[in-house]
Amino acid sequence: MNQKPVLKQAFISSLPVLMGYTTMGFAAGVLLAAKSGVRLPAFWAFLTSATSISGALQFMLVDWIQKAQPMLDVVLLTVCLNIRYSMYGLSLIERFHGLPPAKKLYLIWTLTDETYALEVENKVPPGGDSILYCLTLAALNHFYWIAGVVSGALAGTALSFPTKGIDFAMTALFLVILTDQCRERKNRVYAAVGLLASTACALTVGAGRMLIPSMILMLSALIVFRKPLEKLESWKPGAGS
Amino acid sequence: MSGTSTEYLLLLTAVTAGVTFLLRAMPFLFFGAGKRPPALVLSIGNVLSPAAIAMLVVYCFACYVQDRAPAEHMFGLAEIAAAAVVVALQIWKRNPLLSILAGTAAYMALVQNFIS
Repeated sequence: MNQKPVLKQAFISSLPVLMGYTTMGFAAGVLLAAKSGVRLPAFWAFLTSATSISGALQFMLVDWIQKAQPMLDVVLLTVCLNIRYSMYGLSLIERFHGLPPAKKLYLIWTLTDETYALEVENKVPPGGDSILYCLTLAALNHFYWIAGVVSGALAGTALSFPTKGIDFAMTALFLVILTDQCRERKNRVYAAVGLLASTACALTVGAGRMLIPSMILMLSALIVFRKPLEKLESWKPGAGS
Repeated sequence: MSGTSTEYLLLLTAVTAGVTFLLRAMPFLFFGAGKRPPALVLSIGNVLSPAAIAMLVVYCFACYVQDRAPAEHMFGLAEIAAAAVVVALQIWKRNPLLSILAGTAAYMALVQNFIS
């Protein structure tokens, strides 16, 4: 059958992502050009955004470049930042089962928060090819993200404005994610665990060396106190205290 | 190795892209149709994200503290004020871009004009 409606619907579904990715990517690109100190920021903006397609990571990269962060830290932090991606595939295993390797790899590679949400929603027109729909969505969103980051890097290179303090964008991004996560009451418990573990490490070993001990402390606490923490999820202040 | 050297940047790109891809591919590698991951893995996977993001917020603030002497940056007034802008706007308007831009602009205005 004619698959044109599928392509059209994929484009319509992707429009909110177009808005989000180009603007957020733009901010990350400006930050890279203004603060990382790399030569050819647009080139590195392209390479990093095209290969990892991850918002928080794109902001974090600037900090890592500035500090020449050791690779072990980079690996562990990337896992922490993006661990949620490892849950997404669970609901797509059956749909992607038996696909040609190239298509399957591309769909996995491009599995961002937004693309995942749209693929699960799967608003493919009746009789349309669901895989074609997913591939089109994935490619469009991938393109929006790259376009945003690269144009931000170009703008950041071309414009010269006082950039002192612009790196607060990364802090702001994490605060936004945390605020949204804390709308769900169960997440507050785990955010508190992260807050306590990392504050303890920041106070004892300092900002420069806090990340690895924080992650170890946090993970141990989450595993060891799994049951009591699960009970806390449904604890109501005022009911018993 | 300097952070802006080509070697470091290539390594950084490869490592971040590789780890991110592996995370995305994990369910497809380990759990075929019908096979579910162990309960501990699922539960840690679900709760690690808020803990990690909270840690990164603490890390950002710890870096501000480390970079300057307390009196010099008015005991974090700019950071606290800008963070309050971000959180309040996000609770109120739920628009990530607006919250980030407004908070960053507020912070830049504060540190460029009034503080240090």
